[in-house]
Amino acid sequence: MSVLEVRDLSIHFGGIKALQHVDLRAGEWEIVGIIGPNGAGKTTLFNCITGFYTPTSGSVTYRDRDISKLPVHRRTALGIGRTFQNVGLVKNATVLENLRTAQHLQVGYDALSGVLGVPSTFSEEGRISRRGHQILELLGLTEVTSARVADLPYGVLKRVEIAAVLATDPDLLLLDEPGSGMGPEEAHALGDLLLELRREFALTIVMIDHHVPLVTRVSDYVYCLNFGEVLAAGTPDVVRTHPEVVRAYMGEDEVDSSTDATATQVVPV
Amino acid sequence: MTSTLDDSRTRILEPVAPPVQAPEPADGLASESSGSDQAWRPSRAGVWARGFVWGLLAWFVLAVPANILSPFELGVADVSAATEAVIFGIVGLSLNILLGYAGQISFGHQAFVGIGAFTSAYVVVDLQLSFWFALLIASAVGALQAGLLGAVSLRLSGLYFALVTLSYGAFTEQTVFGITELTGGEGGKSAPRPTGFDSEISYYLLCLGFLALVVFIDWRLTRSKAGRALAALRENPRVASSYGINVKAYILLAFALSGMIAGLAGALLAHHEEVIVGSKFGFQLALLFVLMTVVGGLRSRSGVVIGAAFFALLGSGKLLEMLDKPLSAVGFSLTEFIEGTVGLPQEFVPLVIGPILLLLTITLYPGGIGQQIAPVREWLLGRRFDPHAGKVEEVTVNDVRA
Repeated sequence: MSVLEVRDLSIHFGGIKALQHVDLRAGEWEIVGIIGPNGAGKTTLFNCITGFYTPTSGSVTYRDRDISKLPVHRRTALGIGRTFQNVGLVKNATVLENLRTAQHLQVGYDALSGVLGVPSTFSEEGRISRRGHQILELLGLTEVTSARVADLPYGVLKRVEIAAVLATDPDLLLLDEPGSGMGPEEAHALGDLLLELRREFALTIVMIDHHVPLVTRVSDYVYCLNFGEVLAAGTPDVVRTHPEVVRAYMGEDEVDSSTDATATQVVPV
Repeated sequence: MTSTLDDSRTRILEPVAPPVQAPEPADGLASESSGSDQAWRPSRAGVWARGFVWGLLAWFVLAVPANILSPFELGVADVSAATEAVIFGIVGLSLNILLGYAGQISFGHQAFVGIGAFTSAYVVVDLQLSFWFALLIASAVGALQAGLLGAVSLRLSGLYFALVTLSYGAFTEQTVFGITELTGGEGGKSAPRPTGFDSEISYYLLCLGFLALVVFIDWRLTRSKAGRALAALRENPRVASSYGINVKAYILLAFALSGMIAGLAGALLAHHEEVIVGSKFGFQLALLFVLMTVVGGLRSRSGVVIGAAFFALLGSGKLLEMLDKPLSAVGFSLTEFIEGTVGLPQEFVPLVIGPILLLLTITLYPGGIGQQIAPVREWLLGRRFDPHAGKVEEVTVNDVRA
């Protein structure tokens, strides 16, 4: 059984065909990478999976359940967590407060008893704080626990964002450029972290990233999108050496004019 | 006997701990973010000082209006003005839920309050039911009508929704408050006080009790899941929904809660004035509500209550009267100056001073009165006196979308 299955998905914004007949599959415990040039429709695909966009046609299936019509928060409740390209955190709140907010669905009381100050809500608040601390500790973020999100640098925020999405207790993690703004060493460390998180939380991960080495190292399967279409799909090595992918990354002319002796063209590392 | 002595001795010895804390501000720069506030406890003297100020506050709101242990001689009219200030405080907290927490503008809040007022008067006078039951009904009706308006807000945003609330207020004034059978027309509708709360001072204490209840609800709101959900969706609905928050449901909840509290405030206002007139709930009042909440400081309970009380006392002329007392020594009367020399009628004073204060608030202290009193509030709550407290939570101007 696959965790996520996107079938024949298309979305048009007016005349722009942002995605056309995209098929994507993520199996249990898999890490699936999505690469592609800017504007290829990668984030649009995420927005369709999480429910921010309604696709023009096609379906999104999560654990054999068609979720195409569900609103965003219901999909989160089912276990789909996502991060955003430009940091999806509440900027005016502290890091811990964000993790507490992200545990919205795990809180064991309803909104009304919270407002009325029913005694059990107090202990529950303590519990979600402890859980927040635990997750931050796991990701090595204890130092920034009480820092305001708006005051933190981008690189740290990318990790805080992963911590926050973990707090929603996801089953399927959609990461939108987790490695952006990171150098090669940091990206490598991020790769280790993702592999560890998969083990620790039993996660299936779909991630978009421009760091081709990172994607090829951790992914079990890679999709390459270009102009809203799946250009190539397969194991990392297959996609990396795929002539269409190379052309999309290197440009048409360069492939033609490359007359030097190197046997195969590979996406630049 | 000896054991209690020992106890007190060890307690006296305890303040040895604070000197260890004392040098902390020096390295506070390094460890600012982590844990410096967890271990800190006020010294024994600090606890006494805080207790004294708390006592002074309690004396001011409880004993002074009752003329107990008080050098001031407050008359019935003064206590009545204080009651109005307390009710305005409840209205301010109600509006703060929408404006401050949910980030929704409401220029129709006078309608929320008015509907509560007339509902309560109707239940007591026409249905001959008890005052307490009327409060419940007024709150429920307030929640319902606000919820309906909230449903509209899900479809519209920003300026367009502000216009809807504006026209909702005007519409209510012209239609609902114009029904003579319901509101008594020009002569107004009587709203008798409950037995046992006939006197000004007892009714004042009753309203103060309700203010405390609303403050408690507001406190729990901000400290529980609903408050966090509102904070998240106010800033970024997309992030909120990806955290699993049902954005639409929580906006409706904010409207319903705000309407419930406004309805309660309206009911209290009706029985406070005893005769309630529909023309009271015009746009002027809505503007005053928004001004007092923003000047008081969005998302600051204490600030909003102080701001609301300030505008209420300004509107009833009691504040100028208070200032006149010491000024009379130099033969100057502020009331006379404004009404006579400037030629500004008393009831318009808040609407002239309000916008000036609003400008000062937005430009200098975006957190309003709440930001200015933050150091004192933090100190009163047992934390260190920090003159910069409250500066971090800056309210961006687009919070007051209109």
